[in-house]
Amino acid sequence: MPSILRYLLRRIALIPVTLVIITMLMYAGVMLTPPEARVQLYLPKGNAKIRESTIAAYIKTNKLDQPYWVQYTHWAKTLVSGQWGYSPSLGVEVLPNLLERTPVTLELLFYSFLVIIPASLGLGSLAGTRVGSWVDRGIRAFSFLGTSVPLFMVAVFALSIFYLKLGWFAPERLSLEFSTLLNSEEFKVYTGFVTFDSLLNGRLDMFKDAVSHLVLPVLTLSIYNVASLTYLNRSFTMEETNKMYVAAARARGLKESGIRYGHILRATLSRSLTSIGLAAATILMGVFVTEIIYTINGISAFIVKAMRAGSDAPATLGFMLYSVILVLGLMLLMDLLVAIADPRAREEVLNS
Amino acid sequence: MSQSTKGVRFGFIIALILAFGFVLTAVFAQRISPIDENGDDPNFKRVGRVTNLKPLPPSESSLLGTLPQQYDVFHSLVWGSRDALTFSFSVVLVSLLIGGVLGSVAGIFGGWVNRIIMRITDAFLTIPLVVGVVFLTQLVSVSVSALTFFPTFAQWQAGGGVEFGTSPLIDFFTKVDPLLFSFMALSWMGYARMMNASVIEVKQEEYIEAARAVGVGNFRILWRHIMPNAYQPLLVMAARDIGNVLILSATLTFLQIGGNSVWGALMARGRDWIIGPRGSLTDTWWVYMPVTAVVILFGITWNLVGEGLKKLVIEHRKG
Repeated sequence: MPSILRYLLRRIALIPVTLVIITMLMYAGVMLTPPEARVQLYLPKGNAKIRESTIAAYIKTNKLDQPYWVQYTHWAKTLVSGQWGYSPSLGVEVLPNLLERTPVTLELLFYSFLVIIPASLGLGSLAGTRVGSWVDRGIRAFSFLGTSVPLFMVAVFALSIFYLKLGWFAPERLSLEFSTLLNSEEFKVYTGFVTFDSLLNGRLDMFKDAVSHLVLPVLTLSIYNVASLTYLNRSFTMEETNKMYVAAARARGLKESGIRYGHILRATLSRSLTSIGLAAATILMGVFVTEIIYTINGISAFIVKAMRAGSDAPATLGFMLYSVILVLGLMLLMDLLVAIADPRAREEVLNS
Repeated sequence: MSQSTKGVRFGFIIALILAFGFVLTAVFAQRISPIDENGDDPNFKRVGRVTNLKPLPPSESSLLGTLPQQYDVFHSLVWGSRDALTFSFSVVLVSLLIGGVLGSVAGIFGGWVNRIIMRITDAFLTIPLVVGVVFLTQLVSVSVSALTFFPTFAQWQAGGGVEFGTSPLIDFFTKVDPLLFSFMALSWMGYARMMNASVIEVKQEEYIEAARAVGVGNFRILWRHIMPNAYQPLLVMAARDIGNVLILSATLTFLQIGGNSVWGALMARGRDWIIGPRGSLTDTWWVYMPVTAVVILFGITWNLVGEGLKKLVIEHRKG
């Protein structure tokens, strides 16, 4: 088997371990609530007027009066079988609804990563190879300010300036006419990403609309994340610049740009990508905040609605588990990129 | 001394002055802006009629204007610094402690202890903070709603369930803010990883092996040899985190997901006058400008403190 595949299998094998740890913790929290509350997790549709005796029956059949391990394994089994419960406050099955909302969030993530990865790598290596120059100072000032200003404030001000004052961009995912089109019969869904689907349906006007709605959220997300990752990449680059092989390359008379981008950037690539993976949870939190402020109807809208309605155990647990799965997915993606970019990182994992 | 270190020194001094300023404001909040004896929340003070929904510009009675319902902006800014400092410091201290202990214990024992602890640490890294906050607040509200699930209180007791008011979970979270608790539970991983890495690095040095050979115990090695080298980067991280924690708590309050960060609530109460239909950047600037400036200043202050500490650490190591 090629080493890249073995490396990925190693990484994938860690995912169930993490999921078990997280779900065990979650259920330990759930155990603190009375069984009459936990029963919510298994109640079917339309449970508003359920009787006391039915609840007792549900507690019995779902082993809610038994020790932690029995309850936990029972719950884990229902999760694996895809039954994540019915959310009483939203009136939907949890898992299908989350899956349905996923493309919206993924689209935002996708375009943000398209900005965040190249920008933070580029700026980091630009600053790290020219320490002390005005380029370096400018980039450092940007990354300093970008990490000091809260993301939600950036979002609020962007809305207030570019939407209310100038009217260039708007919140939400699409304008009204296109969102009705999106839900109509004649629009065929291929990928779930509006930007792709509108092109595949041959609607250039819809594509333009979707892009103009993505600009502000993507920029909002990028400012903070580019700023914080640039800071890291700059220090990785600085460390790498002091290594012997760089001096050797210079001595051989290689072109400076070749050394910067061919040698140094390539050598720092795996560490940079790994640090993006470690920041995945923070990035996802930023995505949720952005979605809420720009009223984009993604995964976060699910939990915001559920929380406004009061208490909703299936929605909460489903949302938490699903977010963790998304974060793990992002981490795996970064691992994949590392594996492609850097053979040394592959070997290191395989030999450990 | 090079130009850039001078710049950092300057920034460090400014940051320390600013940080000290925040602390002084927090300590003397009552002197600077006395609380309203009749109000229910010391962090907010009304200077006009509740029914007046229009924010009023700065005047003699309110130094920085008022929010809708006539809450004084200046008063909340002052009292908010007390709230911000206590919240951030308690979160950072607790997570520093948890992370430091777990990271060093894992590192010093090594082997499977290390593997298990660090795997759990990595698992925690996959939980976005906002999700943790939602989870904990919902745990409480689900328990509370279960208490009222049955038609009457008498029936509830007859049903043999948990007696009203005795649920340990509810008791705990009426005393401890769920937001504070989730911040503590989800902020220690960075410290644990950093501590772990430095312990493992130092452990391989020859003098540690020598100390072990003459029979020095694990914890003495940790305390005498590893700690003096490992605590500095942790402090740098902690200083930066104080700003980050405040920013995150203000975010969650602003989005009405949880907690009651005063500065976040200040922005939330003025929200309609920023991005609502009547929102305007120029006409009602006092609604958002002062609080934005203060939050950003708070973030910058602790970022600069961290930066300054880092430079000190590097110089100290060089000799």
